[in-house]
Amino acid sequence: MAVDRRGFLKFVAGATTGVLATPVPWKLLDDASIWTQNWSWIPRNVDGENSYVSTISKLCPSAAGMKVRLVGERPVRVLPDDNHPLSMGGITALAAAEVQLMYSPSRVKRPLKHAGDGAYVAISWEEAEKMLKENLRRAGSKVAYVSGDETGTINELLSAMAKESGSDDFYVMPSEIQPAALAFANMNGKGQLGYDIENSDYVFAIGANILESWGTVLRNRAAFKKSHPAAEKPTVKFVYAGPVQNNTAAGADEWLPAKSGAEAIVAMGIANLLIKSGASVNAPDFAEFKALAAMYTPQKVAALAGVAPARLKAITAELSKAQRPIVLTGSEFGQGTGVATVLAGTAVNMLLGSFGREGGVKALPLAPKVIASGMDRSESAQKDLVAYLSRISAGKVPMPRAMVFYEANPVYGLPQPAAMAKVMDKVPFRVAFTSFLDETAKACDLILPTPLGLERFDDVETPYGIGQAFYGLARPVAPCVIDGKPAADVLLSVAGQLNMDLGFATFEEILQAKAEAAGADWESLMEGEFFTSNAVAEQSGLRLAAGVIGKALAAAPKAAKLSIAPVQKLNIGTPNTAIPPYNNKTIRRWELQKNEMYVAMNGATARELGVMKHERIKLSNSSGSIQARVNIFEGVMPNTIAVLMGFGHTAFDEFSKGKGENVMELLTVGYEAGTGQSVWNVAGVNVSKA
Amino acid sequence: MEERLLHPADGNSTSRQFGGAAPFFVGLVVALIFGWWAFPGLLFSEQEQPINFSHKVHIQDAEMECSACHYFREDGTFAGLPTTESCAECHSDEPLGEDPEEARFIKEYVETGKEVKWHVYQAQPDNVFFSHAAHSMESCNSCHDFTETELCSQCHIDVANMDKAPTYYENKLTKYSKQTMKMWQCERCHAHPEHYGVTRSSNACFVCHK
Repeated sequence: MAVDRRGFLKFVAGATTGVLATPVPWKLLDDASIWTQNWSWIPRNVDGENSYVSTISKLCPSAAGMKVRLVGERPVRVLPDDNHPLSMGGITALAAAEVQLMYSPSRVKRPLKHAGDGAYVAISWEEAEKMLKENLRRAGSKVAYVSGDETGTINELLSAMAKESGSDDFYVMPSEIQPAALAFANMNGKGQLGYDIENSDYVFAIGANILESWGTVLRNRAAFKKSHPAAEKPTVKFVYAGPVQNNTAAGADEWLPAKSGAEAIVAMGIANLLIKSGASVNAPDFAEFKALAAMYTPQKVAALAGVAPARLKAITAELSKAQRPIVLTGSEFGQGTGVATVLAGTAVNMLLGSFGREGGVKALPLAPKVIASGMDRSESAQKDLVAYLSRISAGKVPMPRAMVFYEANPVYGLPQPAAMAKVMDKVPFRVAFTSFLDETAKACDLILPTPLGLERFDDVETPYGIGQAFYGLARPVAPCVIDGKPAADVLLSVAGQLNMDLGFATFEEILQAKAEAAGADWESLMEGEFFTSNAVAEQSGLRLAAGVIGKALAAAPKAAKLSIAPVQKLNIGTPNTAIPPYNNKTIRRWELQKNEMYVAMNGATARELGVMKHERIKLSNSSGSIQARVNIFEGVMPNTIAVLMGFGHTAFDEFSKGKGENVMELLTVGYEAGTGQSVWNVAGVNVSKA
Repeated sequence: MEERLLHPADGNSTSRQFGGAAPFFVGLVVALIFGWWAFPGLLFSEQEQPINFSHKVHIQDAEMECSACHYFREDGTFAGLPTTESCAECHSDEPLGEDPEEARFIKEYVETGKEVKWHVYQAQPDNVFFSHAAHSMESCNSCHDFTETELCSQCHIDVANMDKAPTYYENKLTKYSKQTMKMWQCERCHAHPEHYGVTRSSNACFVCHK
């Protein structure tokens, strides 16, 4: 039986019909689509058992306690820790990004040296250590150390290395802790000021941005959350005084608009009203203080700080009626405030009987230093980096021959950064211990990569703002993903080669000694436990330091016609981390669009300046200038322009670099009369159309 | 030479010998046989588990529950397959039975600490997020009256009474298991209006594709 062409075609037609009635074409189509899931660039999950490690964030300035979720040995996510006293079930936008930041494209992956032609050259750790050792030896006593870590014992190591070389120049990057330490020292106090917000029944934050940047933010937020149950009446009243309705003001039960940098004046106004109603303090200089406070009548406070007299009186009356009121003072952007601000706030607390009482202000004991030649916390907190750089610039102190930066980014993060960078630029040898290729690292001769907090051992001792003594360990939860070495280990090795006797061979020994000095149990710390204590530091002869407040306020610069109010938000990062990539999504439409940032002012200010929403403007003063677009927001005081911090990086990665401009360019440094402390929380500005 | 004619004059044509609809039907039948019978065998490769595992021995003889090995951890995540370490809690030094596979398991895996590369019959691609916690007795049995086996076997092979681990069929094209569930299978429940009303098991893309 032969098959002719027609028969064959019939066969094919039949086969085609038959195939269509089978799973073959449909299954192959389906499989082809599933097969596309195997393309090599599609990420793959790697299975493994879930586990959780409790640790503390060394990246977030609020020292967030957190749980890291691991799958197998890989960290995949940071979660809140319900039982941690530094977080109490919350997490910050910065701590939440820690795992992601381990893989950040801007991490320094190996030691680098800056070659003469401006290129970075990868070098070995041996070569890097040798270069560091030789330059430190050459510098002798002309060496300065700058730390970006406020709570770690590494500061004892850094300050000890400075001292062993014959230098006093160890500085911590500016924050709230310096004015607080100086203020308490001026009061003849011992220990560190601590604020028991959780047990208070009336919280008045003057400037202190307690839900965003002041103190242990998560612990503050937990106290706020507890006292503000959903759909129920708040049990504790929170009041915020400041120039911008920032996150703290937005959450507070009452926002009291007050000019930027006028925190001490508001506090003195309240002190005056309290004294008038019969409050007093058993302090040697009370009479002097009373006379000083009497000058700050509600009318004067209104003129200087822009606070309505009736509202000042109402808040004072509420404070007097409360059982456990607390007044918190600070800078609305976490730095640059004067000593007088803290002194005036502490005086109000004393007038309210809140000093040393539950729900009030306490003096917390700090663990003694463990490295004999190092500086203890209160000693190092009183050192003023901005003043030091200015004195070098003015030729009042000699230029150091070497500067060591430990996880600090002063080239971006200091006020008048261009001027500060110019000073640092003249230092013959600069070395940065850093995790990221930040602005300071890029200006250094030697860049040494450090493991991140999730990859190393580190510690946290009583962060500023917390109401009880604390000690805890940050533990490595994952192997270091770069060729990094903990800075402490490198420094100890170099110190040994320079014949410095620090008394310890390893950082772990230093941490063990510190834990013991703090009263903590090392074994339980290693298991993720933490140490807290309600002990307080004994005081004798506490003064109000009225003379210091008087001098500072008398010489305070008059507020400009138009001033800027920097606004800090943790999701936009810190100078040390820039904007973590995921957090770009959390930046709002009228905060940043592509590379252009927005500044906010109220409608009246905009009308007066003759600018419209979205219009491009130039803000300038004697320190520098920035450009931005206008957003209209009625939560800004009249004649004030709110500017977000954290933009305008010139280093890091595509997620941060070139996004907006750096508000620090406009912050002009001044010096507080009476203390000499550098301040930059008041800045006048001119606006023109760009 | 034979004369080839398109239209033979005698009317006794080849098309009549193998003519009419016959070629069509032959083609149809060949295709149907190929498509329904031969094709699946060609598409899938057969693979056996690295170690034979008898669920029957564990459930019937050792009186274990499914959840002794396939349990939920405290944090709500599903343990899935037990690790060698957890198997070694019982199978450590000496075999408990006489099955040579058990002896081989102890020698090759327990003693070396290696994990068994089990073939997972139900493995899904990474772009599918499936939480066992959301498909629990608690949620499904709020309306149904499933036993644990009935609930699990809605998606999984019912292995409880099997002495031999079922053969694993790997799709040669996709490299996924033959039993990998398809979207329409998930949608049998997810697209069911009553399910949505009761369990909020929405059929939206992001429920499964994260």
